[in-house]
Amino acid sequence: MLPNKTSLAPPGIAGELSAQRLRTTRPSAAALSVLALAAGVFLILPMVLERHAVDLLVFCGLYAIAGAGVGFLLGQGGIVNLGQAAFYGIGGYASAYCSARLGWPAPAGIAIGIVLSLAIAALIGQPILRLSGYFLALATLALGIICTNIYFEADFITGGTLGVPGVPKLAVGGVIFDTPEKFYYLVWPIAFATILAMHNLMGSRIGLALQAMRDAPDAAMVMAIDNARLKLWIFMLSSGLGALSGSLFAHYVGFVNVDSFGVDKSILFLLVPVIGGASVPAGVIVGALFIGLVPELLSTLGDIHRVLFGLALVASVVFFPDGLWGLGRDLTGLVRRRSGATRGETTP
Amino acid sequence: MNLASRVAASAPDAPLLELKTIAHRFGGFQVLHDVSFAVPAVGITGLMGPNGSGKTTLFNIISGFLMPMSGAVLFDGRNIRAESVRRRSLDGLVRTFQTPKVFERLTVAENVMVGAFKAGRSGFFAGLAGLPAARREMTEMRARAYETAQRFDLGPVFDHPSPLLTAGQRRLLELARAYQGQPRLLMLDEPSSGLTTTEIEVLITKLKLLAEEGIAILLVSHDMELMGVAQAIHVLNFGRIIASGTMAEVQEDAAVREAYLGV
Amino acid sequence: MLFTQALLAGVTNGFVYALVGLGIAVIFKGSHVINAMQGELAVVGAATAVFAAAIWGLPLWLAVVAGALTGMAIAILVELGPIRALFARRAREESFLLLTVGLGFTFSAGVLYLFGREEHLLPPLGDEVYEVFGAIIREHALWVIGISAALILALRLFYRHTHLGLSMMAASIDPDGAATTGINVRAMRTATFALGGLLAALAGLLVAPLIGVGYQMGPLLTLKGFAAAILGGLSNPLGALVGGLVIGILEAMSIVFVSSGMKDAVALTLLIVIMIFVPDGILGRAGRKGG
Repeated sequence: MLPNKTSLAPPGIAGELSAQRLRTTRPSAAALSVLALAAGVFLILPMVLERHAVDLLVFCGLYAIAGAGVGFLLGQGGIVNLGQAAFYGIGGYASAYCSARLGWPAPAGIAIGIVLSLAIAALIGQPILRLSGYFLALATLALGIICTNIYFEADFITGGTLGVPGVPKLAVGGVIFDTPEKFYYLVWPIAFATILAMHNLMGSRIGLALQAMRDAPDAAMVMAIDNARLKLWIFMLSSGLGALSGSLFAHYVGFVNVDSFGVDKSILFLLVPVIGGASVPAGVIVGALFIGLVPELLSTLGDIHRVLFGLALVASVVFFPDGLWGLGRDLTGLVRRRSGATRGETTP
Repeated sequence: MNLASRVAASAPDAPLLELKTIAHRFGGFQVLHDVSFAVPAVGITGLMGPNGSGKTTLFNIISGFLMPMSGAVLFDGRNIRAESVRRRSLDGLVRTFQTPKVFERLTVAENVMVGAFKAGRSGFFAGLAGLPAARREMTEMRARAYETAQRFDLGPVFDHPSPLLTAGQRRLLELARAYQGQPRLLMLDEPSSGLTTTEIEVLITKLKLLAEEGIAILLVSHDMELMGVAQAIHVLNFGRIIASGTMAEVQEDAAVREAYLGV
Repeated sequence: MLFTQALLAGVTNGFVYALVGLGIAVIFKGSHVINAMQGELAVVGAATAVFAAAIWGLPLWLAVVAGALTGMAIAILVELGPIRALFARRAREESFLLLTVGLGFTFSAGVLYLFGREEHLLPPLGDEVYEVFGAIIREHALWVIGISAALILALRLFYRHTHLGLSMMAASIDPDGAATTGINVRAMRTATFALGGLLAALAGLLVAPLIGVGYQMGPLLTLKGFAAAILGGLSNPLGALVGGLVIGILEAMSIVFVSSGMKDAVALTLLIVIMIFVPDGILGRAGRKGG
């Protein structure tokens, strides 16, 4: 008889590791009801909030998509990617150029942006993914800056410092996404789909291989896992998501220029999983909300939100490596243990 | 002709693994000189030698973690000396490590499932999409992993996080995982290190069972009792094979005594 | 001549990159931490000096000292605080990287918030302009070269002939052995960071009169300094000089032969190429033992 996947392990250590485990369990009733509640909240938000708030939430969605890629690289690959803004830029410029300058339909620009990003990630990824930890991270940082240089110089496509104005609203299948509310209902389902896809991947054969590769690369090789190929794939996945987010950004804002695609943006995208939590794909949502909403809350204090972001990054690294999501999980675990203890033993 | 060759020659098939004049140098130091021996497709072959004899280097060369400066590594008659570790694993050559490299963030079940990775088919996109075929494959992998886990006495801890295992269980886990990889030649690097006497006895039982199933085993060890399971033993010293034969023959060999006891 | 002009500029910049790389190499050598905020510390040092001179009205020399000490102090605080915390919980390499990146971002954000977006210039060490082989070099540039060279030499003497320097080396090569001889290993690591921070601030102070230092300069300076450090062999601080000159000169040449807008892209592509093909530096393993 195949044993059911109930936790036989002591709560403390299992709590820490449970986030890394395969999700072959069926979600509990409590989890499903929380999910239903969250879905409900998500659906009605644009109707109750004012336009400016919905606009912010759209940006949160864009951060979530781009940040999901960076988060997956960090959480599952142990790779720090400081160059996501480069791919965000590829998507942004591809969509801007194809729709504003060439008059092509929006999906064409989006597809071109993604394909271009995947190609460049495949090309650059092969040599640099062989580098270890620090070197790789700095290589991605260098890549990001090299791309901003190119964006400046290739002004026949990018318009240089002037950028590409007049990007038309996103129009797909007769629907024109010309208000923040409509865009909200486009961006967030894409973000959720992304997170779901990553969740699926983590529980799959490849997800298992990724964890193995991370834990003991030599042993993974002995199990015939192609470490280099896996890293390349998740790097390409991350770059594709960056491009997708960039394309959506271009259509939403209607204008792209180099300032949106610099090192600052890359660090912002990195902040999303670091602050939100990288071990579980859903942590990206928390991080994206933090990054998108905090500057607004602090807007009266001027540019201080950047300092706060930096401090939040430092604090996350030092005090809660699993981000706010991990913090929340640990706290609920603590609460559950306390209430479990007062009720007495729950298992025979 | 030494005993090893005789054992190989008497086996119905050609030897599974054959080393021909393997030599290797680190910097200016010659670690291996002209090492040749064969491992038959059945049974347990042992590799022994004092510290510094070059066992580890030889082991890494055979398993693909090191490329020898000269010589050939023949697996199934094919020279694999330049093949990657991964390629060798696909061919059926699987090794373990002196300290078991268990995947710490995975449970016992998941560790064993990784062993079957090479036999799986659902790829990146199937994983992302969460296709039913991919899910079914995972369920199957888990079921087969459970069968294997039971054979290695890991059934009761099947869903435990692997850091909670004892040293003996970790070794068995690594073995179970390697077994899932359908090895034709299983290479074990000091498998008894860190184990209690009881755990070593369990290990010996498991190794005998594996050998009976037809898996060839190459065993590197200091432990004399463990070596007792081997049908043929090669002794390495200062980078050369100094003796080959059964345990009894090797123990009587003068060169071996000199190497180990200085007598 | 354009070529000579570029060469002179390249050599001057090269010394600055060498100084930044030197700080990175020093910190790596003493703690095995790669300091991804070295460039930001340079910016902080320069900005503090500008601020001290302009707002507090300090005489230039005092403002410069204030800038240097600020860089050093911040580096010390970083080591005493988050770095020690990460070492204590045996954090992975990524954590250190994220930490220093985060700190760098914080510092540059601080400079932006406190000092604004402009580029900050310090008065140069002398207003003369000299002519060399048909090209022009400012007196300050000569000072930069001279002071950097002197610092590099001083560092070599420090590590080889002073008690503190030898202790720092011993503490990083063999912490346990060093501890048994009475060396306070933890304090040595703090001293390493102090030295690295000082070098960063000095690099920023030296370069400020030439090109002006802005809040966004950090990452670029870090990466070029890093390129210099790796090219010279990360564990060999003196190799950073060789590396810096190579980077500086190649970058200057790219302005002449490619385009000035792409100079950073060229330098950074060089960094990536170096990391892939010569990660041990051109001085190789032998270079590692030097310093």
